[in-house]
Amino acid sequence: MAQTWIHAPPAYEVSCVKVTIKLLNVYRKYLPDDAQGSAYTLRVARGTRFSELLAQIPVPMDERPVVLVNGSTPAAHQILVDGDVVAVFPSIAGG
Amino acid sequence: MNGWNGRLLRIDLNRHTVSTEDIDPQMAKDFIGGRGWAIRYLYDEMDPRTDSLDAENKLIFCTGPLTGTPAPTGNRYMVITKSPLTGAISCSNSGGTFPTEMKRTGFDMFIFEGKSERPVYLWVEDDRAEIRPADHLWGADTHQTVETILTETDPKARVACIGPAGERLARIAAIMNDKHRAAARSGVGAVMGAKNLKAVVVRGTQEVSLANEEEMRELCQTVQAEVGRDVKKGSALREYGTAYVPEVTNELGILPTRNFQTGQFEGVESITGQALKDKYLIRPKPCFRCPIACGRLTRVDDEGYEGEGEGPEYETIAALGSACGVDNLAAITKANYLCNELGLDTISMGATISCAMELYEKGILTDKDSGMALRFGDADAVIEMVRRTGAREGFGNLLAEGSYRMAERFGHPEYAITAKKQEFPGYDPRGSKGMGLLYATSNIGASHMAGDVAYSEVFGVPEKLDPLTTTGKPALVKRFEDAFAVIDAAGLCVFLSVRYLFDPSVELWPTRLTQIMNLATGAGYTEETLLEAGERIYNLERMFLLKAGLTKKDDTLPARMLTEPLPEGPGKGHVADLEEMLPEFYRLRGWDEDGIPTADTLKALRIDLLNPLDGDCDD
Repeated sequence: MAQTWIHAPPAYEVSCVKVTIKLLNVYRKYLPDDAQGSAYTLRVARGTRFSELLAQIPVPMDERPVVLVNGSTPAAHQILVDGDVVAVFPSIAGG
Repeated sequence: MNGWNGRLLRIDLNRHTVSTEDIDPQMAKDFIGGRGWAIRYLYDEMDPRTDSLDAENKLIFCTGPLTGTPAPTGNRYMVITKSPLTGAISCSNSGGTFPTEMKRTGFDMFIFEGKSERPVYLWVEDDRAEIRPADHLWGADTHQTVETILTETDPKARVACIGPAGERLARIAAIMNDKHRAAARSGVGAVMGAKNLKAVVVRGTQEVSLANEEEMRELCQTVQAEVGRDVKKGSALREYGTAYVPEVTNELGILPTRNFQTGQFEGVESITGQALKDKYLIRPKPCFRCPIACGRLTRVDDEGYEGEGEGPEYETIAALGSACGVDNLAAITKANYLCNELGLDTISMGATISCAMELYEKGILTDKDSGMALRFGDADAVIEMVRRTGAREGFGNLLAEGSYRMAERFGHPEYAITAKKQEFPGYDPRGSKGMGLLYATSNIGASHMAGDVAYSEVFGVPEKLDPLTTTGKPALVKRFEDAFAVIDAAGLCVFLSVRYLFDPSVELWPTRLTQIMNLATGAGYTEETLLEAGERIYNLERMFLLKAGLTKKDDTLPARMLTEPLPEGPGKGHVADLEEMLPEFYRLRGWDEDGIPTADTLKALRIDLLNPLDGDCDD
């Protein structure tokens, strides 16, 4: 009997990593509709590196925003893991 | 002269007389203006050991060569005096419109000496100056004061004044100008109150003369347009004001929370710039001739917190908000309005209340002392304590002394999170180590305005540095301190460097700034001599501190910062690591191991012949 998959097959689930993307202050306008506050969850393929993640963040990178992973600046080749929090805010001084 | 007016007004409050003096052009160039001129005069004319509230202390208002010119953000002034809070120098800076009006009177600087027997105010209308009675104004809040004064002088005049807090010599009292702007830190308002000087009122119609007007306007318009364009692209400052910051510092785990017990605040979502914009913002407000417009015109209609005015700024949201565990933005904004009306520094006020809250929760302070429960998170307690401080009523009388003296009274000064007895601004140095070095070495006590390395450690300007390392931080802090000394002295706002400070591709610093200075003054600065002037100013302030009796023991941070690690967030486990940075900082500054500028350093800066420390100079 053929099996009908109602959810994504377990093999696919296991090969994904869930990170939280937070788009702060002026970048809120790029948040997807289902965002909670200033954050939303993004599923990326296991093994995705930070430099590759940037392409999946809907903020114009030519504005040179500050992008932090768990509060610090990651190396370009850093591999993302489940639960990582990625925060994006404009590099603008004042406060 | 060009750029500079070249004249100062000296006000003898004992005799109620005024006199004018010319400024020496070499001194003008060597010390730039504003903050630089003021320290030069104070160092020469007063004994730094004088008590700050004594009549012998001098109070200086000073603009810079670029104040009131087409230079973008060319609209700041400074208040310099010996501080009642720190015992060091106060260098409080403010914007709004008063600075340009003051510059247009034809005077660069006002030096207030002595003490008036009765309350008075100074009224300067172009080159005419008069000391007028202010008995009828004594006791009035800053808004009422301005409204009354405008009816008896000129409706177009601009006013800098103290409120009840300054009159009552609160060590955390501010001088408010244009009602909502503040020269706030280090208790400058108390010095004004001690002199019975209620207000300084200016009306000026004389345009500032420029050495090369056409080229100056052209260059300034270019920079103005670039800053404006840039602000439009990533316009966090215009869209949110400095209130954009709580999210950022919370993300880095350095947002002061519950008297710096931790650096992340669970209520942060309620106190963001977005929340302010959604609920209380009327519109952004620029200072005179500024392309950024970071000011906030706001209004609160929430029951119990009704009010209208400007702000709150980030520092206010941190000090009166997260530091007190309060996430009620309406209450924070109301407390901000009250501070402006009473004439209180919002940073020191909030931080002092948060210190009292920790003492209360630990049972060191009781209801008998404070008159009411003071628990973290109680927004109404914050507002009540602000009121009582302004009136020096009940526990407010102690709060008015600042957190250090208040906590010391109860035997626990270690809970006061200060440097040189001045309360920290909104960046926990355990998670932003350069800021820790800045707080410890700033000549005005803990301050972000003395050289805000958070620009790089937190905001990524010009590039994002790791806030958790100490490597390279001594050089970074020195660079920022000297740069900010130049910007302060020139009469510019540090936000001019929104993205650009030290970014070589933009050439603002020091290239275009040097050009702007020369086009305005014709003084022939090179980039080297301009930078050197900043270093000169900083070192002369240091000499004042040393003569006032401060030592390297005062270049330190509270025990919590040095020994209690951050409990959570990206900086978890970190302390301030000051000892790793301070010796190298002294070395880079050309100071000996005791933090005293060497004779060679003073000679190189040409301040060696000015009343050296007796017997303390290296030979």
